[in-house]
Amino acid sequence: MEELKPTLVLDHVSKSFGDFTAVSDLSLQVRPSRVFGLIGPNGAGKTTTIRMIVNITAPDSGRVELFGQTMSTALQDRIGYLPEERGLYKRMKIGEQLRFFAELKSLRGAEAEKRIDAWLKKLDLFNWKEKRTKELSKGMQQKVQFITAVIHDPDLVILDEPFSGLDPVNVELMRDTILEQKAAGKTIILSTHQMEIAEKLCDDVCMINRSHKVLDGKLREIRRSFSRNAVALQFQGGDGLLNDPALVANIRQHGDDTEVLLVPGANPQELLRRLVAANVAVTKFELVEPSLHDIFIEKVREVA
Amino acid sequence: MRKFLAVVKREYVQRVRTKFFVVATVLGPLLMAGFTIVPGMMLGMKSGGPTRLAIVDQTGKMYERVAKELMSGKKTSEDNGDQAPDKPPAASNSKERVDQSGKLFRGSYLVEDVPLNSRAIDDVLKDLETRIQNRELDGYVVLPPNLLKEGKAEFRSRNTADLFTGNYVVGAISRAVRGQRLAEARIDEGSVEAASAPIDVKTTGVGGKESKGEVSFYLVFGVGFLIYMTVLLYGQFVLGAVIEEKETRIAEILFSSIRSFPLMMGKLVGVSLVALTQLGIWALAFLIFSAWAAGASSINLHIPAMMFVYFAVFFLMGFFIYATVYAVVGSMVTTTQEGGQLALPVVLMLVSGLYLSFNIIRSPNSSLAFWASMFPFFAPITMLVRIVTETPPLWQILLSLGIGFATIVGLVWLASRIYRVGMLMYGKKATIPEVWHWVRQS
Repeated sequence: MEELKPTLVLDHVSKSFGDFTAVSDLSLQVRPSRVFGLIGPNGAGKTTTIRMIVNITAPDSGRVELFGQTMSTALQDRIGYLPEERGLYKRMKIGEQLRFFAELKSLRGAEAEKRIDAWLKKLDLFNWKEKRTKELSKGMQQKVQFITAVIHDPDLVILDEPFSGLDPVNVELMRDTILEQKAAGKTIILSTHQMEIAEKLCDDVCMINRSHKVLDGKLREIRRSFSRNAVALQFQGGDGLLNDPALVANIRQHGDDTEVLLVPGANPQELLRRLVAANVAVTKFELVEPSLHDIFIEKVREVA
Repeated sequence: MRKFLAVVKREYVQRVRTKFFVVATVLGPLLMAGFTIVPGMMLGMKSGGPTRLAIVDQTGKMYERVAKELMSGKKTSEDNGDQAPDKPPAASNSKERVDQSGKLFRGSYLVEDVPLNSRAIDDVLKDLETRIQNRELDGYVVLPPNLLKEGKAEFRSRNTADLFTGNYVVGAISRAVRGQRLAEARIDEGSVEAASAPIDVKTTGVGGKESKGEVSFYLVFGVGFLIYMTVLLYGQFVLGAVIEEKETRIAEILFSSIRSFPLMMGKLVGVSLVALTQLGIWALAFLIFSAWAAGASSINLHIPAMMFVYFAVFFLMGFFIYATVYAVVGSMVTTTQEGGQLALPVVLMLVSGLYLSFNIIRSPNSSLAFWASMFPFFAPITMLVRIVTETPPLWQILLSLGIGFATIVGLVWLASRIYRVGMLMYGKKATIPEVWHWVRQS
């Protein structure tokens, strides 16, 4: 897997609108068959980055390379894009609409028809095929929009906030569908400001804030490197046991949990051993990996 | 290319299928028919039975002829002498209409001979007046003894405002009197009619080319007017089509799939095909209707076939030029209302073209005429005027068409640029400097 060529490379890409810099000197690589999270708060430059990837706007400087080629209109057919600003023709029937978007991606005829039906069935929308957009609920429209992004079986699927506005059942459905796409060998770029979602789905992430890349890499490695050697505990008794500056750096109370931050280099097993030796009733002992949220906050503070 | 066709297809099918389109297409010809037939019918229609006329013949020999003419149902205008034979088509249209209604009461005259029987004429007339009062009679004609010499007769009717009956009666009496005069002078009526058959003068331009004459000229104005009306009608459609994706935020998907130029061109062509479909249906309805109304033989306009080609080509050029203006405007604004206001001044240029053509008619080879027919916003009308009056060299016509075509492509390109950049900066209306900046930037 590692030796495969990256699906997408951004090479020192910048874009500004007038005085406003939307993306500044951004470089990143997206590897095939992985879910790549583009994360950052609103206004960080995610959407502008995506627009440069799908060739809606050209970067002021830098290079976008897709499937080993410089970005061009010919490559657009190999990308599927679910924009954050959703839009469907209000008065068109769902079937017609999907047919039109498929044609715009050079997919037509019986094959298009077959895939439209398959996708509508898969996302529980088949009975709505002859209905007009305005008769559909927000969530349904969102699913239709998702189909327009994948109908032509693109190699790269870019999803900008795909879960917003979906109920829990459909969030689940969408998540499964995205993972299926990944299993089928597609590369997926997931742009979101919801860190919890990125945490659950992404293999790699790139964090951007105020037009600058803050951090990127494999999610697992990032988390490991940010591991602060913390343990979440639930226990009874053992008063004063944790007050050993040689082992414990800090203690925080999170509801029922006591979060114990160990001093750098300390072994969590040592803490457990002491607890057991002191006959403390331990009901929870868990090594805490830092959340993306925490990492992000930490990185942003660091930069500032 | 296939993506372009997909856009064309969508724009076309979506619009042609709307109820609005179907209703407008059907109602158009009905309204047109309504405005042309109904007034004629109303005027010509007589409620009640036939017109009852009494004839008091003091000459003693005219009754037969007058009665015959009245019953014959001949067209009223034939011998009136008050209709110039060379009225332009507009006037002859109304003439057709009058004739049409004249036909409606052909034969609907009841004529009655009222012999004097040595009574005083005043007594007889008093009787007739009473009968008119009692609605037993609609009118009477007095043919005085010296009718043939002095040519004066009298027609009294209850309703003097009824022009049709009046004209008709006058025509019948005139023909009867003429016939009688000819008979008395022992001249064969048939040979006179043959001798006075209208002459067909063929106007020929220098070089032996047959002049296209007035009819073509009126057609040029017709085409100008047609462009104007079409643009006003369908410009809104173009505007709507361009703005549609702005309102629904679909543009982002479109731009990630298709370049903005074919997209804009596709929209323009799609909507224009809708307009041409509707116009085509209307034109067909109009042809059928006028053939029915006037009889196919009477719409022989003597226009060379090449002329129709020019009309069609310049009409299309004019339509597309002004439609692209709407596309450019649509790419700058966010609502159709704003767009309509912005586009109107440009469309008024078309009207200036009409004014210019008055000058061009007189001097079709002046340099003003040349430049006016090269300027794409005037060319659809001014070049047609020149072709009709004194056909310019072919290279000029082709150049004018070339400039027009380039203008269309250029405007679509401009529109697509503005659209693309403006689209991505959602929301507010752009100022002209901003738009200029966008054009250069993207």
